[in-house]
Amino acid sequence: MQQEITPASKPSLKPKTLNQANVKGFNLHVNDKWYALAFLGPSVLILGVFVFYPMLRTLYLSLFLTNNVGRPTVFIGLKNYVNLLTSSAYQASLQATAVYVIGVVAFTLILGLLLAQMAVRKLAGIQWFRTIFSATMGVSVSVAAIFWLFIFSPSIGLFDQIGTLLHLPLVQWLTTPGPAMIAVIISTVWMNLGFTFLILFGALQMVPQPLYEAAAIEGASPSYQFFHVTLPMISPTLFFTSTVTLIGAFKSFGLIDLMTAGGPNNATNLMVYQVYRDAFLNGNYGLASAESVILAVIIALFTLLQFKFLEKRVTY
Amino acid sequence: MTTKNGSQQRLLILGAILVAVIAAFAGWSVMSKPAAQAQGAKRTKVVFWNEMTGPAQQQLNTFVKDFNQSQSKYEVVSEFEGNYNEAVQKIINTHGTDASPAVFQSMDISTSQIHHTGYTTPVQKFIDEDHYDVNQIAAGARAFYANKGTQLSMPFNTSQPVLYYNATLLKKYKITPPPVNPSYSDITRVATQLTDRSHKKVQGMTVEIYGWLFEQFMANAGVSLANQQDGHAGTPTAVNFTNAATVKTMKWIQDNLKKGDFVNYGAGANAQNNETASFLSGRLGMFMQSSASIGQLTTGNQDQLGITYYPHPDGQKSNGVAIGGASLWISNDKPSNVQRGAWEFIKYLMTAKSQAQWQVATGYLALNKDSQKEAVLQNLYKKLPATKVPGEQLRAATPNATNSGIFLQGLIQERNLTQTAMEQIYNGSDIQRSLATAQKSMNAYIQGNNRANGY
Repeated sequence: MQQEITPASKPSLKPKTLNQANVKGFNLHVNDKWYALAFLGPSVLILGVFVFYPMLRTLYLSLFLTNNVGRPTVFIGLKNYVNLLTSSAYQASLQATAVYVIGVVAFTLILGLLLAQMAVRKLAGIQWFRTIFSATMGVSVSVAAIFWLFIFSPSIGLFDQIGTLLHLPLVQWLTTPGPAMIAVIISTVWMNLGFTFLILFGALQMVPQPLYEAAAIEGASPSYQFFHVTLPMISPTLFFTSTVTLIGAFKSFGLIDLMTAGGPNNATNLMVYQVYRDAFLNGNYGLASAESVILAVIIALFTLLQFKFLEKRVTY
Repeated sequence: MTTKNGSQQRLLILGAILVAVIAAFAGWSVMSKPAAQAQGAKRTKVVFWNEMTGPAQQQLNTFVKDFNQSQSKYEVVSEFEGNYNEAVQKIINTHGTDASPAVFQSMDISTSQIHHTGYTTPVQKFIDEDHYDVNQIAAGARAFYANKGTQLSMPFNTSQPVLYYNATLLKKYKITPPPVNPSYSDITRVATQLTDRSHKKVQGMTVEIYGWLFEQFMANAGVSLANQQDGHAGTPTAVNFTNAATVKTMKWIQDNLKKGDFVNYGAGANAQNNETASFLSGRLGMFMQSSASIGQLTTGNQDQLGITYYPHPDGQKSNGVAIGGASLWISNDKPSNVQRGAWEFIKYLMTAKSQAQWQVATGYLALNKDSQKEAVLQNLYKKLPATKVPGEQLRAATPNATNSGIFLQGLIQERNLTQTAMEQIYNGSDIQRSLATAQKSMNAYIQGNNRANGY
């Protein structure tokens, strides 16, 4: 009894409980390098082969011109980057990506929140609506693309048929630059909506009811309640969905490839699509690598900015 | 304690199943190997990569089966490799490994790229060894895949760009059909009459935003797209999009689009599907597309199909257009007996009989001159006389530097850039400026590419 509380005996006890793992068959110390390696090894190996090596290789390739079998031959330093950033085509691609990303993130969040706010109300048959609202989660990109292609089709499309009924001018959705961008944003927002709805709906249900009751007693209007009770309470979730949607929007490929293939007039030629074109169609791996690096830097930068500024407004 | 034992037991069972499955696979692969080897010992295996789909794929598989039955030395194994673009990358990336093909099909515009990899044996080597009579193969198709007198690959699925018109519709509105070798103004006349007389119910004409068509306008006008005689005399260092003939062609389309006699269906597969759908439903009078579309345009079409040669500028004779499609290459990373097998297979595909069957089944043109005498082809012509036109167009042109394709690397990029220019022009931009922008980008691309490859 006395022995246990003497300072001298304490160190001898501590390692057994904290620094030593007692796994049956293993008896390894935490400081043991092999112990760490056994657990970290597989993931380090997999990440190294499939993430870190390709990343470094991309960085390396971006400094070269590559020949017709894809090998780096002529070292040109940062010339790929300089050429890209000064080319009007690439600037147009950056601009298109900005429009697309802003459009997608804004509308996904606003519409997702709207749907979630509606679905939170306890009404008859609301379960059915909740299922419908989250249904796009189960739709694959290719199915969604075909579905939207039919809607935007100039001869049999739903939009143009409605337009004809209302005597509106016919819009060539996917063959005119402006409307094509709107069309792909609509399709992407629709695709994203299921996931965003589900996450925000979950967050809204977690807001404690007494807060609303208290606000109601104080005489706060519904809109005041929304902005001063609901929004702060779900801000961590909003922050999460905005980050995820932003990164997802930067990486959008499937819908673009299937609906417009970057056209018309490169209006929907987003950065990722340009990478794909240069690498896998033009076989220009050096340039494509430089484009990938630029894209990665931009995504990292925006994510960082989001953490820096948005997180301040988040109340956990 | 019992739950722990239970989970341990379950883990043990799972492990046992895993081991059993692995053992089964290992056993199967060991057992199946001798059988395959026994067959391989007798016959030399020749792996053939292709990118054909639909009826063409079916016919190609029939050819492979027939070839394997016709002799006992070689066994051709046909493997589908997805689309043309993907196949090029796969061919380059697998070279020198066991996975690479002995003979492969690669698209028209990859010719210079594939040749410059140095991964292939030119078919000329076998032509010389066998004293194979190349004159039986259509000269225009051969010229596309030849460089400085050496046949690099054998033309296979070959098409011609042509103009399709709805003959029934023209008769209905009492419009004289365009001549078989029309000029731009012949087409303008028909398009205008169709739009006017149908009170805009029928769209006159469309020219798809497609780099291939852009190239063919230049070929038919007899203008080089790239310097060094379209690359046939040496490595090109620059392109010329801003020449007078091209500007004139683009102005012809832009003016007619403004007047509403032409319509714009855009670019890509969607445009192709939409214009075909409109044509088949009688809402579009004329359009230009590959002769390989004939099958699609004749089956189930109530209206009579008319076909003419590719339109040429006014005031000059047509120079003829280049072919489209793909050719067959022999890889040089395989032993000589395998390469020989690949060549024997190519020869089999090029016989008069095979080629005639090929045209009937797919709409690609029979390249063997003797195919025209084959009964299957004669029957097709009797049934649908218009199907004769693309082959006649091919044989009418004398191959020269401007109508035998462009021997340039990066033609995918060139098509992308010219399509962008076409899109801008169709939407009303300044022709000269749009073409100059595309030209500047392409020249920069060529310079970089030549430097990277040490040309």
